[in-house]
Amino acid sequence: MKRIAVGTDKGAYLLQGSGSSWEVDGPMFPGWKVTAFGRAGDGAHLAAVGSNWFGIGIHRSSDFKEWGDTEAPPIWPEGSSRKMEQVWVFHDDGERLWAGVADAGLFVSEDGASTWAPVEGLNEHPTRPNWVPGFGGLCAHRILTGADRIWVAISAVGCFRSDDAGVTWEPKNDGIPAVDTADDAERPEVGYCIHGLAQDVSEPKRMWRQDHAGMFRSFDGGDTWVRIEEGLPAGFGFVIWRHSGTGRLFTVPLHSSASRVPVDGRLRVYASDDDGDSWQVAGTGWSDSPQYTGVLRGAFDGDDDGAFCVGTTGGKVWLTGDIGETWMELEPSFPRIAAVRILE
Amino acid sequence: MTVRVRLPRVLTDTAAVAPRHEASGSTLGEVLESLFTTAPGLRQHLLDEEGRIRPHVLIFVDSVKSDLDTAVGRDADVQVLQAVSGG
Repeated sequence: MKRIAVGTDKGAYLLQGSGSSWEVDGPMFPGWKVTAFGRAGDGAHLAAVGSNWFGIGIHRSSDFKEWGDTEAPPIWPEGSSRKMEQVWVFHDDGERLWAGVADAGLFVSEDGASTWAPVEGLNEHPTRPNWVPGFGGLCAHRILTGADRIWVAISAVGCFRSDDAGVTWEPKNDGIPAVDTADDAERPEVGYCIHGLAQDVSEPKRMWRQDHAGMFRSFDGGDTWVRIEEGLPAGFGFVIWRHSGTGRLFTVPLHSSASRVPVDGRLRVYASDDDGDSWQVAGTGWSDSPQYTGVLRGAFDGDDDGAFCVGTTGGKVWLTGDIGETWMELEPSFPRIAAVRILE
Repeated sequence: MTVRVRLPRVLTDTAAVAPRHEASGSTLGEVLESLFTTAPGLRQHLLDEEGRIRPHVLIFVDSVKSDLDTAVGRDADVQVLQAVSGG
């Protein structure tokens, strides 16, 4: 049996089941957007919520049923012109818990999400005056750690890497086209609209990047990037995930920035078994009916057992339990899905 | 002086706090600070980063829309509402 947390524009839900039989608990946090899930070092479940009226919140739970509002979520210093609009992602590196937020920033917690400290080296980076939001806002939406390095993806700014535990940061976008920049223009330091970031956890310098400008790969920790789109119907999208056991990569191509739906309405997860050299539709089970729906940057998750799922803007969840060989659209329908997480 | 504070359910359900509180203070700002001592998680939901009432939160004192420096009398009724916005 699997348990899958679903965060939507209208609350959180818990899917429990297997095969074609699934039950739904919820809504939790009724009336609130649920934007990210995570786990603290002590095993507690985390849910980030947001409200058009009441700002953000971070909730903890031991059982994904009873939740408690933490008292001190990430907050910009008093007097700051920045607004705390949304928690986009949690990342537990085994020692510390990280959170990426909008307005774009990185925060770290040493006490399991009870209190947070801003990571000044990134949040006050010298390039900050040139950070400009994209369509999804100005947000830090992906955090990776490994081999004593930290990577953070910020839209529409780029990938940053720290090699000194978060004290200093460098943009890592060589090879990526900048947003709205002429080909012959001088390359800016920032202005690269990264959408997703994945890595080989056993060799963290091997990385994959779903960018506004296409799909890319780096084998040097992000120092240089090369395009890898052979077999994809479009380079645009938000999803990139790597199964650690097999190395299989997954993505969900969307038509383009202007048309963020699958090409010809054919919603498909694409897979690569050669580090992105080539891509093909992953497995079977896909619907032949047009599905003009997208998958957002937080709405996918996988586990080591071979489960991988995506939640769509149309409120459906697609799941594989065999590393992408067969797929099933789960029956329950939800509001627009912003986040999914496979609990177990 | 003691005043009554009522909170909207969309907030209390998720913040896991009671919908009705007793608090004290001679201004609305003081009343909220009193409220935050018993329900500290509410601060982030009612005030913004600069300590102002959030733009889409309305607070009424005895049915009059109020600001943090509004005077609050004995036995006043303080009601927090969300503005009709969003979709």
